[in-house]
Amino acid sequence: MSAEMNKTPKVGIISCSGEEIPEGSISRNAVRRVLESLRPHDTVTLCLPLFLAGNEGERNFARTHPVITIDGCDKQCARSGPETHGGPVARALVVTDIVGGEAVGCSRSLRGRTEADDEVVASVADRIAAEVDALLTEGVQPEMTEDPDADVCACMKPVEAGSICVRGGRVDIPALPLVFAKLASEGMRAGDSQASALLETVKMFHYISTEEEADYRAALLSAYRAYLGG
Amino acid sequence: MPKGNATVSEQGTTAVDGRRPDSNPVLVIPCSGIGKVHGLMSREAAYLVTDEIAPQKADVVCLALLVKGDEKTVAAVQAGPCITIDGCGKACAQKNVEFAGGEVAQALQTGRFLAKHRGAQPGTGSELTDEGWGIAREIAQAVADEVDRLRIGEEVS
Repeated sequence: MSAEMNKTPKVGIISCSGEEIPEGSISRNAVRRVLESLRPHDTVTLCLPLFLAGNEGERNFARTHPVITIDGCDKQCARSGPETHGGPVARALVVTDIVGGEAVGCSRSLRGRTEADDEVVASVADRIAAEVDALLTEGVQPEMTEDPDADVCACMKPVEAGSICVRGGRVDIPALPLVFAKLASEGMRAGDSQASALLETVKMFHYISTEEEADYRAALLSAYRAYLGG
Repeated sequence: MPKGNATVSEQGTTAVDGRRPDSNPVLVIPCSGIGKVHGLMSREAAYLVTDEIAPQKADVVCLALLVKGDEKTVAAVQAGPCITIDGCGKACAQKNVEFAGGEVAQALQTGRFLAKHRGAQPGTGSELTDEGWGIAREIAQAVADEVDRLRIGEEVS
């Protein structure tokens, strides 16, 4: 990404997680619509549970960028996150304030989605997009970091892969650097007795058949030893 | 481990067939992530359990309410075993249930199920493909099996 693009203001959007209620799903789907279709170059999302749990990357973004929160109910979890841990949000929206009673009868699950659900999601998404436009028109010039990826919610970033050599062939494994870093931070050594734990962790991200396990176990242990510098 | 008296949060849901979950459902807490398909699969798996496979036995609570420390949600989580479905290795759902003093009877990750389907195209953060729905249903069945196991243990004791 060019340095010029790094100067483009971005608006952060935090969606209600709201797994219990249809309005939560409406919030998430509306935010996705804004991010994917309506304002893809002007917006990023922040992960609410990560934010509330104290993730510094998420909180740093909220401190340096305008943030719109979209909540499903009046408990306003999304709004309270930044306001508790950073400062006031630029806009705080609530689904029921935007669509009134139209959310009643909407579905939590995509399986139950109807035309009415789509219309409600579109209304909410349009409102969020309008607020994004208003903020940008107001001349918001947020501080931007040098690394554009640092502004993006962890769940929007591609998972970094690592490669190992199995039976003479290179195999790419999603999240391998993360796995190694996590195990190392927990103090796991690269001994033979740890090989099974290493294999089990990697299997969460990469399919390994029973027949392949012995080869993978040896290859992963070797790669982990190299990672630890041993 | 602390145990509250609450049963389910005040937003407690009604199953799609109109029945309410019973008084002490197993709580299923899915990932809230909206950036990748993993979060969507975890939520849809949870809804398959609570709305279709085991509507009387399981219910969902909002992860954000739990993280925020909402009294009733924390009490509900402490009142019985929970099942978490996380979308990534950050394991927000599992960690936050444990942090709230809840018991995680089973911690699932969508990645483990996806890994069994090498090359699968499950969809995006907005939509699931047929493959994605198939994998979500596998996750849901694993959750439902654990719900049954927990409920049998409860009835025996």
